[in-house]
Amino acid sequence: MAALLKVENLRIELTTRDGIAPVIDDLSLELNAGETLSFVGESGCGKSMTALAIMGLLPDKVGRVASGTIMFDGEDLAKASDARLREIRGNDISMIFQEPMTSLNPVYTIGEQIAEVLRRHQNMDQAAARSRALELLDAVRIPNPKSRVDDYPHQMSGGQRQRVMIAIALACEPKILIADEPTTALDVTVQAQIFDLLRDLGKETGTAIILITHDMGAVAEMAERMIVMYAGRKAEEGPVDQIIEHPRHPYTKGLISCVPHLVAQLSDDRPELTEVRGIVPSLMDFGRDECLFSSRCERADDKCRSSRPTEMKFKNDQHSACWQAKEL
Amino acid sequence: MSGESSGNLLSVENLTVRFPVKQGGLFKRKTFLYAVDDVSFAVKRGETLAIVGESGSGKTTAALAVARLVDAHLGTVKLGEHDFLTLKDEALRKARAKVQFIFQDPYASLNPRLRAEAVVREPLDSLDEGEPSKRQETVDELFKAVGLRPEQQRLFPHQFSGGQRQRIGIARALATRPELIICDEPVSALDVAVQAQILNLLRKLQKDFGLTYLFISHDLGVVQHMCDSIAVMYMGKIVEHADRKSLFNNPKHPYTQALLSAVPSVDKKRREATKRILIPGDPPDPINPPKGCRFANRCPIAVPSCSDSQPALRALGDSHTVACHLVDC
Ligand SMILES: Nc1ncnc2c1ncn2[C@@H]1O[C@H](COP(=O)(O)OP(=O)(O)OP(=O)(O)O)[C@@H](O)[C@H]1O
Ligand SMILES: Nc1ncnc2c1ncn2[C@@H]1O[C@H](COP(=O)(O)OP(=O)(O)OP(=O)(O)O)[C@@H](O)[C@H]1O
Ligand code: SF4
Ligand SMILES: [Mg+2]
Ligand SMILES: [Mg+2]
Repeated sequence: MAALLKVENLRIELTTRDGIAPVIDDLSLELNAGETLSFVGESGCGKSMTALAIMGLLPDKVGRVASGTIMFDGEDLAKASDARLREIRGNDISMIFQEPMTSLNPVYTIGEQIAEVLRRHQNMDQAAARSRALELLDAVRIPNPKSRVDDYPHQMSGGQRQRVMIAIALACEPKILIADEPTTALDVTVQAQIFDLLRDLGKETGTAIILITHDMGAVAEMAERMIVMYAGRKAEEGPVDQIIEHPRHPYTKGLISCVPHLVAQLSDDRPELTEVRGIVPSLMDFGRDECLFSSRCERADDKCRSSRPTEMKFKNDQHSACWQAKEL
Repeated sequence: MSGESSGNLLSVENLTVRFPVKQGGLFKRKTFLYAVDDVSFAVKRGETLAIVGESGSGKTTAALAVARLVDAHLGTVKLGEHDFLTLKDEALRKARAKVQFIFQDPYASLNPRLRAEAVVREPLDSLDEGEPSKRQETVDELFKAVGLRPEQQRLFPHQFSGGQRQRIGIARALATRPELIICDEPVSALDVAVQAQILNLLRKLQKDFGLTYLFISHDLGVVQHMCDSIAVMYMGKIVEHADRKSLFNNPKHPYTQALLSAVPSVDKKRREATKRILIPGDPPDPINPPKGCRFANRCPIAVPSCSDSQPALRALGDSHTVACHLVDC
């Protein structure tokens, strides 16, 4: 089966005060119908930028696709016109943004905001749009939708607003839903509800989900496959369970072991957390011909510091961009 | 039991903090929101008590009241032998130096116009601690203790990374040789790699200086790693309080159970063993809290009588208390 979305050798350049930088550098990935793929990595590694590129929403005048293709349903989104991209955003690919509070319009009721999407993209009349809005609110588990549909965003809790955002994103029955840190600002009990919702959605409608997060636990619970991003490049990719059990990139290993996780049975043991020293390099260094993780990596040698690792592919479908992947 | 004889550095009793709220309408009654409602807990010297709970449950307010950064309406806060809330003048000034706060946002909590060394030195100057000539020495030591290089003293906050800024915040908090440090979401704004560095640092400093921590975090993995005991808050009340192992391995309150079950984990064994308990809906309006158990409207096991009266905290064992009508003690 052909992939629903296929990104190949994507390079995105940002024009900054200090010059041009490859914020995404030679990234390839595939997304299949109905699956959940997760992007993880520290702040500034290009997770949101990848999502924005797929949505055709790169920052105006600052970001552009320099090379590569984004194939969706036989069409290259990297070359599509603005009008066509807008159409795709309304019908096929939708996104839940990192900051839910700023993405709802405070002067319209939530019902009006959902109905507006339906009228614009699905040509529904007012009555049909309203009853569909009620169905969607019910689908995202807003209790008693009839009494909430005329509420304004400020009358809802953070978790409810986030569920409204999901309802809006679902209004057009997208083939791909991109969720960028959809639960960061929410209580874990609310996060659990949103995750359940997304999971059911994937099962029921076959919508493919790209989940962007910094929480490995969330990845383990939600996604089948994951991509670890580091400094605009793919560090590692593969099946979630396999990567967590045996990461093939020192960065992935660091990301997993530096976090204190809840475990099945807590003991008195509390060893020091593994530290990954240093921080992500600055954007201006993203393009260098080296392993960009080498400045923080315990294993780095001269080769690491002088040439960009090629991707090593393992039998279990794990890929790692580390010169020493085999020895790990 | 109170004061140092029990080994407690901090002992808080019946703490209540309320905020006046404006109510519209014809008859403008004066109403209050009880953000912290009759809360008691104690922390042993050199140990860490974590406070967890939903957003808005009163964690920050309780911590601010302990440090006298908001006024308590009722209750006592014993620090060693003294009731911190009634101290005045010189005694208060001395006691204040013993309690320091580390905030969530390292970006917002440092004065942008001061160099790092001045930021750390400021509390020494304002408390008039030690010989002025000796203060530079103290600053040098503090920079070393938190893992910053001497030459970084001359830089301004914006020239540091988020993790380094949090280190400055910690150095500043340590400057007055405090006994109690209140950490309110100290690593939430940091990336995981930097978070690990700061958590390791906090534990090392605790050992080196015998510090006592009151530690607030919404990340239960972090809490598990940092604390000796945990208080779980819900709508201004402590609903469960236990030592680390009892709370995580054997939670009793339905809210605690739901909370722990909601935490996603990389541990496959835990995922397979945990059945998610959903608690739909929202907490009730904090201005009009229900008469009975405040969790009743979301509780998966509630019975009608739960709404009749408030459950009191009852002891389950030596170091485990829980406030639920349906838990057998
Ligand atoms: N509009 C913009 N103009 C200039 N640079 C930008 C812009 N948006 C993002 N960047 C830069 O691009 C890089 C990648 O950013 P991106 O938002 O993709 O990171 P991210 O992985 O999503 O991080 P986070 O976890 O913090 O959301 C960062 O260095 C960021 O500062
Ligand atoms: N200065 C204030 N005036 C009025 N109400 C306040 C004030 N500070 C806090 N509150 C209210 O008191 C309650 C407790 O707030 P608090 O900030 O202590 O919660 P929290 O548990 O720290 O939440 P979070 O996890 O979101 O930080 C909330 O209902 C909040 O809206
Ligand atoms: S390529 Fe070298 S520096 Fe990069 S992660 Fe692998 S071992 Fe470390
Ligand atoms: Mg982002
Ligand atoms: Mg708080």
